[in-house]
Amino acid sequence: MNEWSELLFRTFLFILSLFLVTKLLGKKQISQLTLFEYISGITIGSIAGEAITGLEKNYLQGLTAIVIFGVITFLADYLSLKSKKFRDWVEGKGTVVIKDGKILEDNLKKERYTVDELSSLLRQQNIFNVADVEFALIEPEGRISALLKKENRPLTPKDLQMKMPNEKEPQTVIIDGKILDGELTEAGKGRGWLYSELEKLGVTLDNVFMAQVNSYGELTVDLYDDKIQVPSPAQRPLLLASLKKAQADLEIFSLSTDCEKTKAMYKKNADLLQETINKLSPYLNG
Amino acid sequence: MTVASNVKQCLASLKGIESQLSILALNALDEEAKTAFHESMLVIGDIKKDLEYRVLELERLEPQYKGS
Repeated sequence: MNEWSELLFRTFLFILSLFLVTKLLGKKQISQLTLFEYISGITIGSIAGEAITGLEKNYLQGLTAIVIFGVITFLADYLSLKSKKFRDWVEGKGTVVIKDGKILEDNLKKERYTVDELSSLLRQQNIFNVADVEFALIEPEGRISALLKKENRPLTPKDLQMKMPNEKEPQTVIIDGKILDGELTEAGKGRGWLYSELEKLGVTLDNVFMAQVNSYGELTVDLYDDKIQVPSPAQRPLLLASLKKAQADLEIFSLSTDCEKTKAMYKKNADLLQETINKLSPYLNG
Repeated sequence: MTVASNVKQCLASLKGIESQLSILALNALDEEAKTAFHESMLVIGDIKKDLEYRVLELERLEPQYKGS
């Protein structure tokens, strides 16, 4: 029975120490971006496993080894922040494997990747035709990053010379029927505003599973009861429609009046309104 | 429907548009959007003034439509 309690004690101790070491090393350790973190990641894990189950040995040695590994990785991280040379040596550099649309066989050979492995890596990025790639490099952690030729890249609004409004990130203001005050402040709103918006939608706070405020200060909600239909915000498209209607009205007035001065006034305002519509339509659509 | 009532209707909808733009300008989080809404609001305000003047003119020319 003593062995069992020993095992229990060791397991808890090592879970705690692994947790603390990983916490200290941070997100980088979890993603295992570099050579060093890869090594320390697998080693710390197997030391812990060995020390927990190797009951005949002293667990303090295992603990010390984990701490040393953690400290060295931490130091390596710290030094690579300071020095570019150290960084390149420890973390490794990417290897260019495709340049100007041509595979660099020598570099591929240096990294000991076969063409099949290269095309498999490319396929994982949804690239099936090597000829589509302008530039590709193998990252230190073994993944491939590829830049497609301009004509094969997905079309963006910029390619179409469309002006797109910049949007701020949506803020989640209600989760599980509880108001998140920090996010609400971030969105520049208060509880009073939130309550009145919920009232407008006709829902109560405790029925809301999640609610978000978008870049235009509009509230969208998801309810626990999925049978209830919630209106989606339509204020902006409606505004665009009424702007267009007013513009058309002004055009009609300008055509139907006989007085030259009034005609000119209507025409001027119709043009002004048209300009406004053009300016606002990126913000008001959708 | 007379000309005067049509113009008045248009004026009313412009007033509505102006206030909605004002709300959007206050609610939007992005600075660029805020400015666009605000500037448009000012433009609509100018158009509104012209129309208000025109309504007065119409009422003076054709007093029988006053208030309709």
